[in-house]
Amino acid sequence: MHQIVCTEGLTEMAYAKFAGAPLKVHKITNPWRSPTGTLPALKTTEESTRSLSKPSNIIIHLRKQKYNADYDLSAKEGADTLAFVSLLEEKLLPALIYTQWVDSKNYVDVTRRWYAENIPFPLNFLLPNRIHNQQLERLRLVRGDSTLEPGEQLEKELYQDALECMTLLSQRLGSHKFFFGDSPSSLDAYVFGHLAPLLKVKLPNGKLQQHLNSLDNLRHYCTNILILYFPSEGGEPPIHKVSVHSDSSDFDSEPHKRRKQILSVLFAMGSMLGYAILMGIVSIQHVRPQAALVGPRHIEEGGEEEEEEEE
Amino acid sequence: MSLAAEAFVSQIAAAEPWPENATLYQPLREDQILLSDCASSLAVQAYLRMCNLPVHVSCRSNAEYMSPSGKVPFVHVGNQVVSELGPIVQFTKAKGHSLSDGLDDVQRAEMKAYMELVNNMLLTAEISRPRYSSPYSWPLNQILAYQKQWEVRRKMNAIGWAGKSLEQVYEDVSQCCQALSQRLGTQPYFFNKQPTELDALVFGHLFTILTTRLTSDELGEKIKSYSNLLAFCRRIEQSYFEDSQAGSSSRGYSKGPSLF
Repeated sequence: MHQIVCTEGLTEMAYAKFAGAPLKVHKITNPWRSPTGTLPALKTTEESTRSLSKPSNIIIHLRKQKYNADYDLSAKEGADTLAFVSLLEEKLLPALIYTQWVDSKNYVDVTRRWYAENIPFPLNFLLPNRIHNQQLERLRLVRGDSTLEPGEQLEKELYQDALECMTLLSQRLGSHKFFFGDSPSSLDAYVFGHLAPLLKVKLPNGKLQQHLNSLDNLRHYCTNILILYFPSEGGEPPIHKVSVHSDSSDFDSEPHKRRKQILSVLFAMGSMLGYAILMGIVSIQHVRPQAALVGPRHIEEGGEEEEEEEE
Repeated sequence: MSLAAEAFVSQIAAAEPWPENATLYQPLREDQILLSDCASSLAVQAYLRMCNLPVHVSCRSNAEYMSPSGKVPFVHVGNQVVSELGPIVQFTKAKGHSLSDGLDDVQRAEMKAYMELVNNMLLTAEISRPRYSSPYSWPLNQILAYQKQWEVRRKMNAIGWAGKSLEQVYEDVSQCCQALSQRLGTQPYFFNKQPTELDALVFGHLFTILTTRLTSDELGEKIKSYSNLLAFCRRIEQSYFEDSQAGSSSRGYSKGPSLF
């Protein structure tokens, strides 16, 4: 089964591992269950902190807690970090989003299918389409062209930027182990977060992946980080859409979901039964045993021959 | 520009040298021009001067509509029209003028990254400070102004800046300036002795913020707190814009107020 990987979630998890912050990771598939309503999200024990969403906010919060992977960076390296993160967000991220959400073949074959299989009803019908439309709209606005359609032209332009970005990253990385020396920093977390999904998810339209695979040092860099910091996920594709907690509260969604499902089915059945009785479709008087026998059975099960014939 | 058109333009560009009558078009300086457009225009002018390519600046109220991509500024060179700094840099490169040839791969990567940083932080900070009025008469000026603001707001929404308060915008600008200041250090230009398109871009944005009268001076103050950035702007102004101040107006530059 394919698993789609979320860049932001990966970035934060990578940073947390690099900085040594103790985080408990909860895999949930329903964004409505997250503390902030979107994924990924960070919930802490402190009263003063609201739940956080964006990677930069979460990294800032971890830094305040003294989990800082950038402690040893010089001023110039800190400046370079900011610059390269901007490069990633402006040049690589749009292409990543396009290839997962807007490109017709990839979206239908891989992304939407994964969502349909893994997100609970009714979100699995609504959410993927909504994200698809949102991203297309966003592309249109940013490019200033309201008639933009996903197609070869747009794809070429976006991918050209992304390929150039990856080449630049490869040139900057050279033969070093990490971007700044021997230990990873926040820039490594960002780069890993953006590149790892490309390595792990098999997409039908895989031009970005091909280019990444051709850049040996970047590929080794990503696999290196995976092996060093995510050893349990090394064999299988990394998890998608995680919610990260730094307290130890239990947050199991299974019993709630089951209970809600059962309750909703009972409620539906009860209301149908009540309506049928009120309308006189069904009568529960014993005076007419035949009707009583047929009626309730008609509601409870739909597969018996008698009901079908009586229809 | 589409990729095919770009390749085509490059081919044609390589064929002819830079003409004397090249013109740069931008919106009117006083009433119309947005902060971000002013910065982009100045960046292009600085870049062309650094390359020693003559260009005449012309202010038109319909510059936006004349431009092939809808963005300003654009240059009219020979029989070609090219808009925005990125394509213009490539265009001049095709004609054999380039400032970044001497950079190695790592430096070029850094240069591109810093240009994105400036675009990301400063450009969007400028967009969030509306200044659009209009040379047209009522009611067209109101309608166009609202339309422009609405467009800008939608774009900011799309890139996630709509939720940012003013403090956060200033904070972002401050971070950006700090990064630029640290990168510049004590060097005269970002890549030591020779200016590149990054220097032109940074100059365009910083100079515009410093010299434009806004409702509050906070953006300008933030920049002034970094003395090496201030010195950098003065240096570029002196080296590349001073010569035409002394009399000859054949080069008609439209910088307006100066830092001195």
